[in-house]
This record gives sequence, C-alpha cells and structure tokens, in this order.
Amino acid sequence: MKPDPIRLEIFKNLFHSVAEEMGAVLRRSAFSPNIKERRDYSCAVFNGAGEALAMGDHMPVHLGSMPMSVAAAVAELDLLPGDIALLNDPFCGGTHLPDLTMVMPVHLGRCAPGFYVASRAHHADVGGSQPGSMGLSRDICQEGIRIPPVKIFMNGRIVPGILAMILRNVRTPREREGDLAAQIAACRTGARRLDEIVAKYGRGEVGRYEAHLLEYSERMMRSALRRIPSGVYRGEDAMDDDGWGNGPLPIRVAIRIGGERAEIDFEGTAPQCAGSVNAVYAIAYSAALYVFRCLLPEEVPMTAGLMRPIRVLAPLGTLVNALPPAAVAGGNVETAQRIVDVLLKALARAVPQRVPAASQGTMNNVTFGGRDPRRAGALFAYYETIAGGMGARPGLEGLSGIHTHMTNSLNTPVEVLEHEIPVRVRRYSLRRGSGGAGRSRGGDGIVREIEFLTPTQLGILSDRRKRGPYGLAGGEDGAVGVNELLVGDEVRSLPSKCALDVPAGGVLRVLTPGGGGWGKSGET
Amino acid sequence: MRIAIDTGGTFTDCIFVRDGRLEILKLPSARQDPARPVAQALETILGPSRERAGVELTCGTTVGTNALLERRGGRIALVTTAGFEDVIEIGRQDRPRLYDFFVTRPEPLVPRDRRFGLRERVDAAGRSLEAPSEEELDRVTGELERAAPEAVALCLLFSFANPTHERALARRLRARGMRVSVSHEVLAEFREYERTATVLANAYLTPAVSGYLEAVERSAGRGRGTRVGVMQSNGGIASARAAAEEPVRTVLSGPAGGALGARGAASLAGYDRIISFDMGGTSTDVSLIEGELRTTTESHVAGLPVAVPMLEIHTVGAGGGSIARFDDAGAMRVGPESAGADPGPVCYGRGEQPTVTDAHLVLGRLGAQGLLGGKFPLDEARARRCFERARGPLRSVEAFAAGILAVADTTMEKAIRVISVERGYDPRDYTLVAFGGAGGLHACQLADALGIPRVLIPKFPGALSALGILAADVVKDFSRTLRIEAPCAESSGAALRGPLACAFAAIEARGWREMKSEGIAPKRVRIERLLDLRYLGQGYELTISARGDFLSRFHQTHEQRYGYSDRSWRVELVNVRSRFIGQTARLPLRSRREIPRDAARVAMGRRKAIFPGAGSLRPADTTFYDRARLLPGHRLKAPAIVLEYSATTAIPPGWQGRVDRYENLVLEPARR
Repeated sequence: MKPDPIRLEIFKNLFHSVAEEMGAVLRRSAFSPNIKERRDYSCAVFNGAGEALAMGDHMPVHLGSMPMSVAAAVAELDLLPGDIALLNDPFCGGTHLPDLTMVMPVHLGRCAPGFYVASRAHHADVGGSQPGSMGLSRDICQEGIRIPPVKIFMNGRIVPGILAMILRNVRTPREREGDLAAQIAACRTGARRLDEIVAKYGRGEVGRYEAHLLEYSERMMRSALRRIPSGVYRGEDAMDDDGWGNGPLPIRVAIRIGGERAEIDFEGTAPQCAGSVNAVYAIAYSAALYVFRCLLPEEVPMTAGLMRPIRVLAPLGTLVNALPPAAVAGGNVETAQRIVDVLLKALARAVPQRVPAASQGTMNNVTFGGRDPRRAGALFAYYETIAGGMGARPGLEGLSGIHTHMTNSLNTPVEVLEHEIPVRVRRYSLRRGSGGAGRSRGGDGIVREIEFLTPTQLGILSDRRKRGPYGLAGGEDGAVGVNELLVGDEVRSLPSKCALDVPAGGVLRVLTPGGGGWGKSGET
Repeated sequence: MRIAIDTGGTFTDCIFVRDGRLEILKLPSARQDPARPVAQALETILGPSRERAGVELTCGTTVGTNALLERRGGRIALVTTAGFEDVIEIGRQDRPRLYDFFVTRPEPLVPRDRRFGLRERVDAAGRSLEAPSEEELDRVTGELERAAPEAVALCLLFSFANPTHERALARRLRARGMRVSVSHEVLAEFREYERTATVLANAYLTPAVSGYLEAVERSAGRGRGTRVGVMQSNGGIASARAAAEEPVRTVLSGPAGGALGARGAASLAGYDRIISFDMGGTSTDVSLIEGELRTTTESHVAGLPVAVPMLEIHTVGAGGGSIARFDDAGAMRVGPESAGADPGPVCYGRGEQPTVTDAHLVLGRLGAQGLLGGKFPLDEARARRCFERARGPLRSVEAFAAGILAVADTTMEKAIRVISVERGYDPRDYTLVAFGGAGGLHACQLADALGIPRVLIPKFPGALSALGILAADVVKDFSRTLRIEAPCAESSGAALRGPLACAFAAIEARGWREMKSEGIAPKRVRIERLLDLRYLGQGYELTISARGDFLSRFHQTHEQRYGYSDRSWRVELVNVRSRFIGQTARLPLRSRREIPRDAARVAMGRRKAIFPGAGSLRPADTTFYDRARLLPGHRLKAPAIVLEYSATTAIPPGWQGRVDRYENLVLEPARR
C-alpha cells in the first residue's frame, strides 16, 4: 500500500521528537561537563527488528554504530519489560570504552519488543591506565573497564551489583552514577512516549508507517546516488602515526557507484596498529553513512533505510575494522575523521562542486586528571576536544574554530572548567592564517593554552601533525597542528599522541589544524 | 490616560482606556520608522495637543528584534580579557546544522578589528590574579578612541565573581563620554560566551532602541505625570530610560505582551494553567504559563544567545503564509518558507505557491466576504486553480488542503510538546488560549491531538499583545552567580541564611534604587526571591522559589522534570535571583451576566465547510457567526465558524462553544 504523504510526515516528526526529548532529558540532568556542557551523547529510536527509525540531532559518529549496540544487546540478553541493557565493548556493539550505551526494549504489552530506545553518552572516565581513558595505549585492557551487554536495570530497578562494579573501576564514581541515572531517565522517557504513540495510532498503523519511513529514507538515498555519475572513485590519505613511532598509516577507499547503489571498499588500508587509533567496523560504517547523508537535504529522517543501497566493505584486522585486543580509544575520534577525509577525496572526483576540502581531520582529544588540592585531594578526570578549521567549500570559505564532520561537541566554558578542575585557561583564540589559501580559504584553527595548577597526568590523542588537511581544485593545504608543553621558559614539542606527567605550572599549548583551501588563489 | 501600543510586522495595535472603557485602534506599521505610527496613534487618540499631561504610554516594540534579525544595529567595540578576544566568534565551537557541507553561522556582531584584549585576570573564586595596570587601561582606552565606536561592550572573565576590573575600565571609558555596556551590570552570571553575546547585543542595540524611544518620548510630550514605558522580554514594564540603557531586555517585547494578554484573559475566565498559542502570518509563538510567568535564560534570537531572563516563548516557522510542497521522495512539507505579506497567499491575488491560508479558504472556513470585515477580499477561484496544479498524487483539491493543515498542525503540536511534555508538564492539565489571526482556526484540532480539554479565544484576539502590555506590571530582574554548596537537607535554612541574606541584600539594594527611579511606591512593590539549584556536578539548574524548604522542592521538581531525584546527593546553589514586581492599576474589564441561550438566532447564515480532522472530507452544513453579535451566555453548536475583524475561529464537529461573562469564547469537546 502506498503511504499517505501526510501521515508519513507526521510519523517522521513523531519519532524524531521522541529522540529529541530523550536527548533533552539526558543533557539537562547529566552530571559531567562532557555531557551537560559538551553534549557528547546521542539518543535514538529503533523498531522491533533493531532498525533505526530516528536519531536526535546529536553526534554523527554515533549514527551508524547505535544499531549495532541494539543488535548486540538483543543477541546477548533476553530483554524483558522494565529492563535496560548497558554495554561499551567496542567488539560487541560499542565504539570505544568511554561511550556507554543503554538499550531499553519497549514491549507494548506483548512478548517481543515493538521498539527499542537507546542512549549513548561519552563518560569522562571509565578507568584504565590514564585519567580520562582516552590516552595512548597498547591494548584495550589498558583503556578501561570493558562491559559486554549486561542488565543494569531489571524490572524497573537498578541492579546494584552491576552499578557497583562499574563505579569501583572508575576515577570519578559519583559523576558516573549521576550520568548513568540521566541515561536511564532518557531511555524511560523514550519508552513512555512510544507507548503513548502506539496507544493513539494503533499498533497496525504505527507498524505500517515504520516500514514506509524506512522506504522513504531509502528512496531519498537512491535518488541522491542516481545523481552521481557511475564509476569507481578512489581516495587515499593517512594517519600520521600510531603513537609508538609507526606511521604513516594509509587509509584507502574505492567507491563504486552504479545506478542507485554504492559500494564502499576500504581494501588496501593499513593493518591494525599497536597504538589506540584502531577503529571498529561500526565506525567505518558511521563515517560512510555520514558522508552520504550530507549529500541529501538536511531534513531527511535518519533511519536505517538510508544505508539499504550502500554496502561498506572493510577488511578484517585493518585500521578500519580492528579485532581484539586492539586499543581503540582514538578510532572513533581520530580515525573516523580521516575515513571521512578519504571518502570525500574520492567523491570530489565524482561531484567536485558538492564536496568541501579537508577540514581539520582530528578532534584534538585532551584528557587530564590527578588530585584536586581544592577538594581535599579528590581524584579528578576531564576530557575535551578542540575545534579547528573547516575545509573551504566551492564558492564559500571554511568556517573557523568549529567542529566538523563526525563530532559536534561543544567547548566547556572557561568559567565552568576553572571552577570544576584545577587548571587555568590562558588563551583561547583563533589561529590566524592557518586555513589553506585558495579561491575560497580554509577556516582557521584554534590556539588553546591550559595551565595546570597541580601535578597532572596529561594525555593527548591528535593527528594532522605531519601533513595538513588537503586542499581541493588547486587550493592549498591547511596548516598542520602543533602540541607544545611550556614549563618555565622551556618550550617542549609534544608528539601527536602521548601520555605524560606535567608539573604544577606547566602549560599545554595546542594549535589545531586549519582547513584546506578550495580552488587556485587569484582565479575567479 | 493609559495607552498601550504594540508594533507588529503588519499592524500597530493600540488599546486604551477612555471613560472607563477599553477602545482599540489599528494602524499600518512603518518598517523604516516604527515611531511614526505611534505618533499618529497618539494624535488620533489624544488630539494634537501640545500640552499633553498624564499620558501613561507603554510600548511593545520590535525595534530590537528587527535590528538583530536584519543586522542594523550600531557600530560597536568589545573589550575582553586578553587572549579571549575570539570567544565571541568561536562560540561553543559547534555548527548549527550537522549534515550540511555548506553550513554557515551568524557572524559575530563585532568584527575582529574592533575586539580588544585587556591584560588582567580574576580566578574562579573571584580573586584578582592580575589587576589591569594604569598603562594597560590607558592603552585600551586609546585603542577604543581610535576605533570610535557608537557603543562599547565590556566582558572580562569571572567578572560576576569580582567586578572590580570591569568597573575600573568602565569608569574610565564613561569619563571619556563613551556609551558602555558592562557584563556584570547587564548579566552577572557565569558562562563567558553567553554573557559576552548578551552584553554585546546590548551595546549593539543601544543606538537603534534609544533613538526609537527618544522619538516616542517626544511624541508623548513632557507634560505633568506623563510616563513612557517599554514592555520587556521578561513580561514586565521598564521605563523608557531604563530600556534605553539595557535594550537587550526588550528583544521579545511583542510576544511577551501576547503571553501576558493570554494569561490576563484566561485568569479572569478562571483558568490559571494555560498554553498560549499565537499564530500569525509567518510564525507561531507558544508558551506554557502556570499562574506566574516563567522565564528562561537560554533563549536565542537571530541565532545568537541572549541570556537575560525572557518569558519561555517557543517560536516555530509555521503560520498562515507557510508554503506547502512535496519533496523528492514524496512527503508533503509545509513551511518554514513563507509567502509572508508579500506576495502573500495565492488567494491574496499575487502569490503563486499554496499556503495554509489558501487551504482554509478552499475548505470554506474563511467566510464569504474575505478578511478584515470585507476590506480584504479573497480570490478563491485562483487558489483552487493553483491547488489543482500543485496537489501531486492527492486525489482532490480538498484532500490537498486538508493535508496542508494536518502537516502544519504537526509542526505546531511539536512546538507545544517542546514547552510541555519535554519539560515534564502534561498538556491535559491546561487550557489552550488561542489568538493571532489564525490561532482560532487550528486550536481545536491541536487540542484534540494533545488531549487539551479546553480552548479559550479571548475577546480581542487580534490585539491581545497590546492588551497584555496595557495590563503589565513593572518587572525588574536581578541576579548573581554564587556557586556554593548547600550543606544537607535538614540544616539548609540555618547554614545558608548568612550567605543568602548577603547576596540578596546586595542585588536588592540596586532593585530598590531602580524601582524608585521607575516611580513605584515601595508599598506597591512585591519581591520574588528565586534560587537556581542543581545537584553538585550537574550543568543545568532548576529555578526554585527561595521561600521555606527550597531543597525539598528542588528534589521534587527534579523528579517531576527528569524522573529521578536523590535526597542523599549534595545540592549546589548556583544563582540567586530577585524579581521586583511593581503593581500597576487593574484594567477596567467588565463582566456581564451569562444568560444561557442558543446563538443560532444571531447567526449570519449557513454554508458548506470542510472539517478534515475527523477523517472525512464531506462538506458539512456550517453555521457562520459574527463575533460582534455574540453575547455572554450564547451557546454555539458545531460545526461553526466565528468571524471577526482580524481573526477567525473554527468549531469542528465534536466541539461546542459558549461565550463567557468577559466575552471570551470558550470551546470544549461536546459531551458524548
């Protein structure tokens, strides 16, 4: 039966508003700056088969990977009404350890769930060898507590043993407890809303429009693919290194467009590495989804239907489909960005007028922790990412000091950061002239200086420190990023990925990359 | 004489009290010179007297909003802590749209070359780490003089905790005759980007708004007892002089008047929990009101944060002029593109794209003689021809029109959900107060969708904002960030009394000074004390009355909004807020006895109209009424359409209406 165009629009709005409402609850009741200020979270709604029906406008990197969390939770657990599953294992439905995902079934009074809702939040610390759990490691066991799908909530009640086990493995248990409570609240909100929707429209009607909505997204994607000339388009770029001296690590892609279908093949990509920039398959998949999603109009519903005409092939044991026990903390924050760069480079050969030059291509992850002398030596852990330059667009300059592609997390205000963490921000400004020259200029990066007021363990995961974000159509590359440590009068250059102890008074200075330029300078 | 004037996009509405009665006057707005219709209105109402006295004029203005939207504010400069000059450009480092390679964001109100850094620093505890030296103050003063801006904004880090550095520079600049907006005066609260953006908007609006207000004050005259006030975004009046100093507080002036008017009308009718629903030509404003007006400090105007307290009004881009179309994959879209007033809907004679207003006309819901009492005829045949071309796969013109309304309704339903369900309030406990030209056409449908049990169409739906402004109190908000921990539930009162008393005393000293300069006698002043509380470690606060056991109330409110609370968790007191309310005289709204009787006798006639809500597109025999002829006690049976000068109301099947003693139209589902 053909869908009624009006009902279609109504259901699209309904499911989306459920995801948005879940996000509002999570954000407003969360405890850590990373969720409440930086908004590093996502919420989504799935049908009974685990296919995404709606995603809130949250973090792109979570998009393709949330369905895999649902699949893993359903495969491993028998989810009953009032249960909520929790997981973070990157090799079983997760992405990297700090992303804790909750999945809740919505049974609608039947045996099998009619829907699932999921909330994912990046927690500022999940244990492991370094505060913030985002440092340089050699295997996943160093990166923190690894949680396979387990029930954290059973029959409407928290499971105390599971909660206690998590809280005893992290540095800031009270903050984790508050954040987990907020995630549970978000899931329950979503479940309640879905119950209401089914009560109002009836199971049959809702079921029909779930299917219509998935087909609708699929049609949108097919029509976008039709507008790309058929052919094979290749792209290649590389990660600087793995943090242990090995690099560059190439990522290669071939995009095969044929009619209404696309096949994305990462054959030829470097094997998984010794450091923590390995990405699991979910991330490669998310990056592909993100790039093709951007070719569609802004309001297309974010459902599983979008990926029906697209296949993503990633050889096992590589940087883009890592196997245990690879360290993966940087996979979905650093490698994810490079995967996007590679895909865009390939697409620029097919549709040059619709693709921007490379953006900063890193998230400049900075984590630190220690003991806070202002709070009787209590442990603190903090995580942030720093924005950079956006790649120039055909006919439009890149924006400066902005997060691009797979992240959209906010900064923590200086007046919040200094209140909560023993640091002082000395400078937060644009890095003038760092964008690549071109007919349209790339956006500028950022200069951020943070002084540590107490001895602090610092970790950095960054990239684009050796080769800058590429320009397109004759535009120049953006400036590479720089990490430095200032102690007294001494300026020490830091590698792209590192872990170190900083004495009180030490200052971290990060210069983030500029975006690539587009078109030759001087041409019009 | 008390006069309220609300300047809207199309009309300038005036409402005033003459001989104890309310009268209305409508004039066309003048976009280029919004003060001109105000002067004309005063001429018309008061006559050309040069010696006017006792004029109590209050204005709702869009001068501030439009200056922000159209970027027509002043040439300004900004001074920040050195090293943070770009905070205003970086913002929160996020992009406004996620999946758009060609995304843009609003430029900051001040360009890079007029942003200056001052070497100074205060820490999070309010300690001065480095005071600005004399040479440094001189240097920055000199740079500012060379830049020669019309106004300067000043925002230094942690100035809410220790304002001495801001004060030192402000004093120096003011001594040189510069117009300065200072962040700890405008908004003494944490989060540097939001505070900077707010103080910057204030400086930016100063020239335009103060120019407008001077012109208004001139036309009001300088007679004895004459006072000019301005509606602020917080739902209260401030004197023109105070508003000229802090124009950022007026950016939601008009919509605030609407919410106030809705509250006033509903409260007379006996309903305190309302959702106000103001549907105009291009947008719809909704707001949830529970007795007291609720404010938020997280508003955005023209894509920029404005963190001074504003009524919680949510705006969506759906109105009578919203355009309908089909997208690539066959779904129908309505808005946010709007035909506006020019070219306007197809039936106005020039538009080419189907709109919500056209859909109403095609379904027979707008009356035969057109809008504004017949002054504005509508071309139905033209609308039908257009719909026939544009209806896509839908089987008829009527089905297409019904679809447009259904899709527009979901947008508005979503807007109401944002302010109710998303914040933990159940719409079933509220009355929907609908106004604006098209509010009454959609109200019952929306009420059905959300389970709202009652719709109220107030007496002057086309001039309700002006009425709200006329009845408004003087309201001033003062706040300060404290960030101290509340010890624990039992001892809360005792342990916090000291610091709280200190903080309130400090902000209230300023409050009393300002109320005095507004000319409000102390006995007419009421003070509401509020606290922003959160669990220690959270990032968003809940605003709770400071009276009595506020900690318990905080836990309860948290439970209500977010579904959990924990009394063993520590609570942080983030901001203290004092709201000064100076009561103005009540409006002379008369009530008349309701004499229950059937309204059919005063009906204008019957015509066919379509009410698609129930799923049927069969034309129904519909009674048309002229609102002017409806009297208290009249009962209206569905289906019916009520026409009046600047608004239309639809009573669909399944509903019924009555006119209450204040001549409000009260619609409720018919008893089954």
